[in-house]
Amino acid sequence: MTNMTITTSPLFQLDYGGKIEREIAKLIAAFDELGFDTARYPKRWLALKLLEADEDILQRVSEMPNGDRVIARARQGANHLKDMLGDDVDLLTADRRYGYINGVVRQSFHRPLMDRIALTDRIDDIVTHKWLGLPVFFAVMYVVFRLVIDVSSPFLDWTDAVINGPIARLFRFILDLVTAPAWIHSLVIDGIVAGVGGVLVFVPGLLILYFFLALLEDSGYMSRAAFVMDRFMRVVGLHGKSFIPMILGFGCAVPAIYATRTIPSRRDRVLTALLVPLMSCSARLPVYVVFGLAFFGARAGTVIWAMYALGIVVAMLAGMVFTRTILKPDVTSAFVLELPPYRQPALKSVLIHMWENTREFVRKAGTTILLASIVMWTLLSLPWGVSNPRDSYFGRVSGALSPLFAPLGFGNWETGGALVSGFMAKEIVVSTLSQVYVGGEEKPIEEPTTFGKELTVIGRGFVEAAVGSGKILLSILPGVNLVDEEAAGEDTALSLALREHFTPLSAVALLVFVLLYVPCVATLGAIKHEFGRSWAATSAVYQTVVAWLAAFLVYQGGRLLGLG
Amino acid sequence: MSKPIQLHLLRPGQRAVITKVNGNGALRRRFVEMGIVKGETILIERHAPLGDPIEYFIKGYHLALRKEEAANIEVTLHGESHG
Repeated sequence: MTNMTITTSPLFQLDYGGKIEREIAKLIAAFDELGFDTARYPKRWLALKLLEADEDILQRVSEMPNGDRVIARARQGANHLKDMLGDDVDLLTADRRYGYINGVVRQSFHRPLMDRIALTDRIDDIVTHKWLGLPVFFAVMYVVFRLVIDVSSPFLDWTDAVINGPIARLFRFILDLVTAPAWIHSLVIDGIVAGVGGVLVFVPGLLILYFFLALLEDSGYMSRAAFVMDRFMRVVGLHGKSFIPMILGFGCAVPAIYATRTIPSRRDRVLTALLVPLMSCSARLPVYVVFGLAFFGARAGTVIWAMYALGIVVAMLAGMVFTRTILKPDVTSAFVLELPPYRQPALKSVLIHMWENTREFVRKAGTTILLASIVMWTLLSLPWGVSNPRDSYFGRVSGALSPLFAPLGFGNWETGGALVSGFMAKEIVVSTLSQVYVGGEEKPIEEPTTFGKELTVIGRGFVEAAVGSGKILLSILPGVNLVDEEAAGEDTALSLALREHFTPLSAVALLVFVLLYVPCVATLGAIKHEFGRSWAATSAVYQTVVAWLAAFLVYQGGRLLGLG
Repeated sequence: MSKPIQLHLLRPGQRAVITKVNGNGALRRRFVEMGIVKGETILIERHAPLGDPIEYFIKGYHLALRKEEAANIEVTLHGESHG
């Protein structure tokens, strides 16, 4: 099969005109004369590409025997044509091709699709309008954001409940049946099942995200959004299409990183992925809320708002720095964007898109998350038999790291441990602190249950999730509110404990650190999956350094001003 | 015949004929792929809300280019058109 030759069909061959045809023929003759084996390429096509100076083909030919001599010959021919015809060969051949196409079109095609084009123009008059364009864009983004984050959250809770409830119970039952030793028991339940759960909780959100992204892309709106936002994003060195991932970053960085796939150039995709984790994701909100309420009471809202704003400001600064250093704009970043006519997305293609992207996440980023979860379990359970986490390897690592946090105002073991475990997911920072300061929650005694009962619970949970997201969907409409306001439960025990260990200043420094420090393991898994190990490492290192410096400035600066 | 002018300097509603396509190899090839070739008529449709990029109509489809990229394309004015 390797020596298979492709022959061009004799039925059709575009005539490029006497002068170009003569150079093609001369070059084909030169292949044999110079002993150049054209191998798998059709000769006429290869000669044409060489005359056009196609970079990819020049590269391939230069690596073949006698390739350099062939290239020298082709360059002669191309220069000769340029002298005679006054233009580069690739422009001349493009002219010929378009000329031919125009002829065919004129003969065979009459006033096509005028309705759709007229409709497209009318829609564009609104969505790219001087004054309406931006408000329309923000409205669309708001709706998509609400849909992805809110509609998926009941399903997310359901997935979580199923894994930690019936699935975990099933495994426990099997392990008891085969009288597995305690450590296998712990590895399976606390390591593997918890890890798989950590992967699967992302699935509902990703499915819904990809559904809407495919809708936006296939309908044609995505190009308009890029058109409207490009000028704004370029200030930070990004592409118009970077805006959607950045917005999604406020929900969860993992789907946001995958959403960078709609950006045409790799350089722009990488930069977007490096900035996305600086948007305050929903996992960081509980940390802001708990500390905000504990230290600032009624003014907690301002503190939370400031954290969101700080993330955006740091992202803008980081974007400007990256654009001037390791990610300079290159030719591929050129903005040459077609604005296609609007069309109705095909459901099948939207569903395929949604399924394939989600499956890929589970397969690739999922492995990283699972692995990290098992490593975490190992560190927490070794040396075997530890009862206090402080004595485990995890505790020792955290203890060793804590002096690093001392200049930031929180150099105690507990905070160090909370920050290290926050690497798994940032909301864990709060639950770890609460466990250490207030004591772990009592696990409810599990009732004996049957397989049939479990299935009913799973099914009922799913229906409830569907109803829940339906209600949220309706409440997006103005004036409809079916969702209960979440009771702002005052966690007084935790608040008191936090006030003992932090000052308002060191609390703010901690929040700044949590906002900026290393992205969670799932985000890094996504970056590694999309852009490779070294970009994931870059992301982890630069954010941690920036976080440390920012928290240092806040804490030490505040102390100088007498706030501590 | 009017003098050649850079594409990004035209106003919406103006119509022009492309006389020359400049720019480095990769960008020019991209232009050619998108049908931006000498002799083609191009209509300036509208500016984005923030002024840049600009939407054009060429070869029966809509295309957006940043001013920076459109500056590589030389055109001669062909007349105004509204409708």
